[in-house]
Amino acid sequence: MLTYLGRRLFWLVVTLLVITAITFVIYFVLPPVSPAVLFAGKEATPAVIATVQAELGLNHPVWVQYLLFLKHLVLGDQFGWPGLGFSFVNHSPVRTLIAGRIVVTASLAIGAAIIWLALGVTIGVISAVRQRSIWDRLSLGFAIFFVSAPVFWLGLVLLYVFWFKLGIAAGTGNFPPGQYGFWTWLNHMILPWLTLALLYAGWYARMTRGAVLDTLTQDYVRTARAKGLRESRILLRHVLRACITPILTMFGLDLAALVSGTVIVEVVFNLNGLGQWVVQSVESDDIPSVLAVTVLAALAVMVANLIVDILYAYVDPRIRYD
Amino acid sequence: MMTHDEPGPARAARRGLALRLLTAASCVLVTALAACSGGGGSSGGSPAAGASGSGAHPARGGVYRTAVSSFGLTNNMDPVGETQIGFAFSVYDAMLRELVNFRHVNGAAGTEIVPDLATSVPAPTDNGLTYTFHLKPDIKFAPPVNRAITSKDILYAFQRINDAKLVAQYGYYYYGVIQGMTGKATSPDNAISGIQTPNPTTIVFHLTKPTGDFLQRVASPAAAPVPAEVAKCFNTPGSYGRDLVASGPYMFQGSAQADISSCTALKPISGFDPTSHITLVRNPAYVQSTDNTRANYLNGVQITVDPNVADIFARVQKGQLDGSMTDPPPATVTRTYLTDPSLAADFHSDLINQVESVTMNLAVAPFTDVHVRKAVAWVLDKSAMLRALGGASHYSIATHIIPPTLPGGLAVSYDPYKTPGASGSLAKAQAEMKLSAFDPRRDGKCDVAACKKLVFIDISQFSGVDTVVQNDLAKIGITIVPRDLSVTTAFTALFTIKELEPMSALGGGYADYTGTFSFAQPNFGSAALSAPVSCCNYSLVGLTQAQAASYKVPYPKTGIPSVDSIINQCEVLSDGPQRSACWSGLDKTMMTKVMAWVPYVWGRNIVVTAPDVTRYVMDVATSSISLTQLAVSNHVSIPS
Repeated sequence: MLTYLGRRLFWLVVTLLVITAITFVIYFVLPPVSPAVLFAGKEATPAVIATVQAELGLNHPVWVQYLLFLKHLVLGDQFGWPGLGFSFVNHSPVRTLIAGRIVVTASLAIGAAIIWLALGVTIGVISAVRQRSIWDRLSLGFAIFFVSAPVFWLGLVLLYVFWFKLGIAAGTGNFPPGQYGFWTWLNHMILPWLTLALLYAGWYARMTRGAVLDTLTQDYVRTARAKGLRESRILLRHVLRACITPILTMFGLDLAALVSGTVIVEVVFNLNGLGQWVVQSVESDDIPSVLAVTVLAALAVMVANLIVDILYAYVDPRIRYD
Repeated sequence: MMTHDEPGPARAARRGLALRLLTAASCVLVTALAACSGGGGSSGGSPAAGASGSGAHPARGGVYRTAVSSFGLTNNMDPVGETQIGFAFSVYDAMLRELVNFRHVNGAAGTEIVPDLATSVPAPTDNGLTYTFHLKPDIKFAPPVNRAITSKDILYAFQRINDAKLVAQYGYYYYGVIQGMTGKATSPDNAISGIQTPNPTTIVFHLTKPTGDFLQRVASPAAAPVPAEVAKCFNTPGSYGRDLVASGPYMFQGSAQADISSCTALKPISGFDPTSHITLVRNPAYVQSTDNTRANYLNGVQITVDPNVADIFARVQKGQLDGSMTDPPPATVTRTYLTDPSLAADFHSDLINQVESVTMNLAVAPFTDVHVRKAVAWVLDKSAMLRALGGASHYSIATHIIPPTLPGGLAVSYDPYKTPGASGSLAKAQAEMKLSAFDPRRDGKCDVAACKKLVFIDISQFSGVDTVVQNDLAKIGITIVPRDLSVTTAFTALFTIKELEPMSALGGGYADYTGTFSFAQPNFGSAALSAPVSCCNYSLVGLTQAQAASYKVPYPKTGIPSVDSIINQCEVLSDGPQRSACWSGLDKTMMTKVMAWVPYVWGRNIVVTAPDVTRYVMDVATSSISLTQLAVSNHVSIPS
């Protein structure tokens, strides 16, 4: 296992280097507008541009800038660790700008994940166990509808009906529990969680249904029934255990992708998360911020993959790593 | 951050939580059906009683809660580099005091200069070269500094403007005007020979040349006093903004808790996050009796970032916000407010110091010929362009370049290219084109290759006019290729002289301050072409042969007209009727002789307020809502 871990960590670092290098080239080498010119503003004389380039560290060759970026990432910069640089647009350290946003995105992603897992797996199991019944049909309808419904539409509809018209839901905005209390925060997160969760719940319901149906026909399940075990025990201890591997795979990837994939929900519900941040940064040519979020997103996906792979060994005894 | 006006929010939230969970889970399908069955928007039914208006003596108190899709700051609220007229300058009016200031109201009164920190508005002496200000006593900085403001604090502000590293965006209004100010200082501690502080309550400015609107320049937020003991900790552009020390009636929430014992101890003030919120609370060190212009009814202001513009207006209608601020409402919201008499008083649309124009590059054929430019002016259907941008509630048709809200702005009735319904005249355009060298066939159309496929730069905010311009210009033989670019790419292309962009829809924008020089010089002065990348003379009016050679751009044989002599003549005149008449003359010259721009709309600031706004005032100086004149009747308080 340790050898396997070491190998995976090595390739994690290599992949991260490749991703950061490509992103660096895209944003520092290719753009038609120099960040220094943008920063210099209305009277970008050569003297002002030169001053700004020196201030922002843009007066070094590109490869030196990239190496400095890596060095700061690993060792930190004058603003702390990790060193994510200085926002050209907001004139603040990127680290402080995204710290709060990571928490918002994480809370949105984790909350939605719990809901979609609970909802999706439950519906999938019921649908498989009650195959071809009215529950199965409803489950299919549920999955098709929410997989097809655009996320922004769903969010706006939920807001319109439950907040604007019925007044029973809280509106938009980010209300940190430390400042506004746990219940106020929870209130404001329900609709965003549902919006995000319902899309994934549909997928997971269908995936779980297929996996459970497949497992139910296995010999060991028949044996368990023959031995007189209760159906619920068979389902929970034997069937679900076998089905969990594909669900785990998808779950890890989906959760990691949400690092920057929640942008639509964050915009609709005004949640000031990472997804919304990266879109604003791209629009305003805030290169250090885009680079920072790219690094974080890539790291999240790779770490999630690694965790999922390690969990396989515990979930499925047949899997061993050398 | 947001507040609610429901009592006991935690208790109410807990009681409703279970109900909401159940309702949401079980009603999902009903939701879909309800949404699919249509149903238009609802206004929220605000009652007419308590609608916003200009109450004579509204009650003090309450908090104005608003949201913007983006702060759009250019320098993180550090006044040295902040050019965000509208939002930032509206906040500055609440936070900063300058030697003199505007009244921060609408109309002509809003352009009047009045004393603020100074005891009076000084008349220049020494043939217009010296201005002496005396400071009022008992005016202090807000916490955490909490000490008397002195003349040295104002001097320090100018020294920061002079520091090259801090990249002052409006520095050119002071460099070469105040003796010793060049913009090349290496530190904010470098002295300026032309500014003297003989005692803590006196400051004297010595100019290199008479400058008729020097007082307007001193009213800029960048000239507000800065405490060196705090600002010295910040030597990079924009970094001071998060610890901006107030001198006005409001300050950032959390200012009192800021630790200024050392630079390392100083952390960003909690009331300002450039990506999410600005929260203002009353400055306890502010003395109302020293201020004749600001009413300061509010206890606080909460501004949050909400990128979902429709959500901002939905929250206003639901009472969770007291009004919008800078974002124009979506068409459906505009329609709701304009068609419901009970909501009419809550919809505010005011002319501001903004013009948008079609620009033509005088160094690029066919616009080297004034007859072609005049033909463009005749043919454009401005009424269609107005409709494309949202109609009369959002903009007004521009009949000349300088907005009527600026000093010297001509009357709306002055329109040298007047056509019935402002819909353009093909006949007059063709008649003008026939006089041009680019119409050898004399058929009223531009016949040469130089008239084909001209790039037309635009941004999404104004891209609605592209089709109108394209269709209209095609009638006189000019074909354009509209390029809808991001804001930064579009303006950088236009700023870069070498790019020689032939046309754009972006001429004008806002005046840098409420003084016509700040509009005329950057847009039409050759001094605005002193750097290879500079704002905002997109038509290259006044480009000299020497400048053209240095930037390696062609200089047309027919020459390029200049209005530098008029601008220079107007600049030295003191504020008053003579100066205004001079600027009016510049507008007429630009419209009739130069015709580098075809103005199509003047801007309007649109704000939708909730019924609890009891006094609404638009500030013509900032082109935004006047936070220091606003009043609300809510009983909201700002959470600590």
